[in-house]
Amino acid sequence: MQYFLTLERFLRFLKQNPQYGPPMIAGSAGVLLVLVFVGYWFHKYWYLLLKSLTRNLLRTGLSALAVFVLAIVVTLVWTILVVLDVVMTEKAKDFKAIVTERWQVPSRMPIAYAPSLKEGAASKPGDLKPDDNMSWQFYGGTLDPEKRTWENTLFFFAMEADKIIPMMDDLENLNPVYVKRLMENKQGAILGRERLKRLNKGIGDRFTVVSMSHKGIDLEFEIVGEFPAGRYDSSAVMNGNYLVDAMDAYPTTHNGAKHPMADKSLGLVWFKVPDSDAFSKVAEQIMSSSLYTSPAVKVETASSGIASFLEPYKDLLWGLKWLLVPALLVTMALIVANAISISVRERRTEMAVLKVIGFTPGRILGLVLGEAFLVGGASGLLSAAVLYGAIHVGMGGFPFQIAFFPKFDIYVDSLWWGFLFGTITSLAGSIVPAWSARTIKVSEVFAKVA
Amino acid sequence: MHSNLAISPRLIMILGAGLAVVVIAFVIGKVPISYNIRNLTIRWKTTILTGLAFTLVVSLLTVMLAFVNGMAAMTEGSGHPENVIVLSDGATDESWSTLLKTDLSDVDRVKGILIDAEDRPLCSQEVYIIASQTKKPGPGQPERRRFVQVRGIDDPSIAAQVHGIDLLPGGSWFSEAGVEGLPKADGKEQETAVQTVIGEGVARELGKDLHKERLQPGDVFELGPKKWKVTGVMKSSGSTFGSEVWAKRSYVSLLYGKETISTISLRTGGAETAKAVATELTNNFKKANLQAQTETEYYAKLTATNKQFLFGALFVTVIMAFGGIFGVMNTMFAAISQRTKDIGVLRILGFGRRQVLVSFLLETMLIAFTGGVLGCALGSLAHGVTASSIISGGQGGFGKTVILRLVVDANTLAVGMMLTLVMGVAGGLLPALSAMRLRPLESLR
Repeated sequence: MQYFLTLERFLRFLKQNPQYGPPMIAGSAGVLLVLVFVGYWFHKYWYLLLKSLTRNLLRTGLSALAVFVLAIVVTLVWTILVVLDVVMTEKAKDFKAIVTERWQVPSRMPIAYAPSLKEGAASKPGDLKPDDNMSWQFYGGTLDPEKRTWENTLFFFAMEADKIIPMMDDLENLNPVYVKRLMENKQGAILGRERLKRLNKGIGDRFTVVSMSHKGIDLEFEIVGEFPAGRYDSSAVMNGNYLVDAMDAYPTTHNGAKHPMADKSLGLVWFKVPDSDAFSKVAEQIMSSSLYTSPAVKVETASSGIASFLEPYKDLLWGLKWLLVPALLVTMALIVANAISISVRERRTEMAVLKVIGFTPGRILGLVLGEAFLVGGASGLLSAAVLYGAIHVGMGGFPFQIAFFPKFDIYVDSLWWGFLFGTITSLAGSIVPAWSARTIKVSEVFAKVA
Repeated sequence: MHSNLAISPRLIMILGAGLAVVVIAFVIGKVPISYNIRNLTIRWKTTILTGLAFTLVVSLLTVMLAFVNGMAAMTEGSGHPENVIVLSDGATDESWSTLLKTDLSDVDRVKGILIDAEDRPLCSQEVYIIASQTKKPGPGQPERRRFVQVRGIDDPSIAAQVHGIDLLPGGSWFSEAGVEGLPKADGKEQETAVQTVIGEGVARELGKDLHKERLQPGDVFELGPKKWKVTGVMKSSGSTFGSEVWAKRSYVSLLYGKETISTISLRTGGAETAKAVATELTNNFKKANLQAQTETEYYAKLTATNKQFLFGALFVTVIMAFGGIFGVMNTMFAAISQRTKDIGVLRILGFGRRQVLVSFLLETMLIAFTGGVLGCALGSLAHGVTASSIISGGQGGFGKTVILRLVVDANTLAVGMMLTLVMGVAGGLLPALSAMRLRPLESLR
């Protein structure tokens, strides 16, 4: 399913390599010109198709509307499936890996593991160090301990501020000023838009979190930035050092006693390596190290880790992929088949006349298939365009929480998916009626007319 | 099974009203229904294509609702109204709850907690762990993990009474020791295994690794750093305990480094007593800050995912229904344009406009009803199918992994039939109105 995001990847590549922009634009314009020319070459054919379709506008409109609404659902469901498939598929390069507690979730490791794990447990000459890394602690609590609700509950990723953009996915658009502020302000926090809305807070506001995850460690925060719309709408990031310092200070106010979470505060460590060989080498270094025995740790690729968390959803995703999507496509095909077969039945005389004036059976077949292609393709494309506009531009993603994916953005590729779903189902639905139009016997039709 | 056939009074009323409309239509309509049936059979290809669209929409709705029903049944079936569940203050879930054992010595002395035949309070202190287990990968597949919920309990006989759990025939609760030696393999040191009783769902899931339909007493599996030997399978279908592995608390704590208590479950004399005990523990227990609630309340909060899936199912269904409505409209408009002369003859014979309307509406309803019944029948095949999912109390996607059974009940079928009738009426009304408005002489030209 990787290929379903080709356009998105291509656009991201162009964004990162703007020097390829002008030749690509010129190339695209050239392709478009060729298509227009080819289209014009067959302009009589298109005219005939449009005339046939506009003859019964009601029928064409109803079929188009049916394809339009069904294509919306298929594209939405397909988006969820493609996104999840992409995150679960191993990359060939730029491997991201995670280190977690081996035997249980949520992972709770001593913070003392972090420095060496971030270096890939490299201790000997020849050992490999990861290209980049970050560590996550989880800190959560409520802004209103008297009346805890979901709205006033907040969970933070406590991490290194300078690693947000290079290590976290889809945050290329995060304003670097916010990151700078977080680096400079230990009490800083960056929150997602939806989270800010629920808390009724904005940039510059201050608040205190009464902790539920680290009892007795209540922290004050200042909001220094917000995440761009989309995947991180419900997320919150704080400065990892702030939590570490608070944990270190805890014994001074508690008769020297360590906080119960003191040896369990580290959630996971992320690291980036260039390829699978480097991943295997670093994983081996960590797994064979004697530093991580209590608790033992596990190294896995990010995609494998995410897939594990999606395991409980496997039957649901199977149902979406193998029941819902096919059923929707079949329904679309049935509706188009119905409309086209009615249309062919009503136009048997016209088809016979076309044959008499020299249309070959193949051209008649092409005419009927062309009508289906136009209705299906145009409705599918329009449906995807509306969906893209409404969800990507308007809502910043479709809110449907699956594991740690709160929203699913609609990618620009949905435009060609919609077109594809529309055309394939319409063509599939119109094959039988088109074939029956092709095989119309002129003598039989005129005998009936007579 | 009887409860599965129960149908909500509101649905009965709506369905009844729908059927009443159909009956009235029959009474008003003087055009013989055989005329409509004949027309449908003559255009059998179009009829089948339209009916199939209804079948698909309704069957999908049935399956999706069966999934949501299964999740609802799971959360409802897990909580006993007379039980109280105690977590640490602030914990949103058992896995985040941390209670120090030394602080809990007086919990079982609260008035209202039942005493068993051996004069022991029905109070079960439990540790709850989500264990990570490596799945055996298929050929060419990458290694994956699954998460298994492990509950450590002190005394299985008390825990069984508190949670109302029995074992399937052939099984037994784990021993006081909680471990046993495994047969010695050649040249190797003797290994010990943690004795465990497991839920029916997890028995099926873990059985796949051993190429068995499900694990049985005597089977050994690996979980975490140890081997585990099944001594019994819990009769726990339809509850979250069906997805759990139970073992001696002391071993679970040792293996997973969790010395604290996650949950205390208490059985009281009734729902009202349970509420009183929960209030007492939350407000007046001095040794620790506790968050006590009845199990019914606790599981009612774990329905956020159910609601989300229900919303998703309805959203998809409504959009699909629109597709179906446009499809049936096409069919009926085409039918009317083909039968313009028929309509003219009917009108000249003395049939009124309203009777023509009813005739065409009934024709649509007939397609919708047949397609809907087939859809319900097809969707009903999903009844009893097992599937994995998650139940959770808030958005965030984390919660209890459960293995549930899809439930197609009378309500689901009623909703399916209602949808098909609504689609039939919505799709048939406009064409029927256009047929009604045809003038007899014009239509005969």
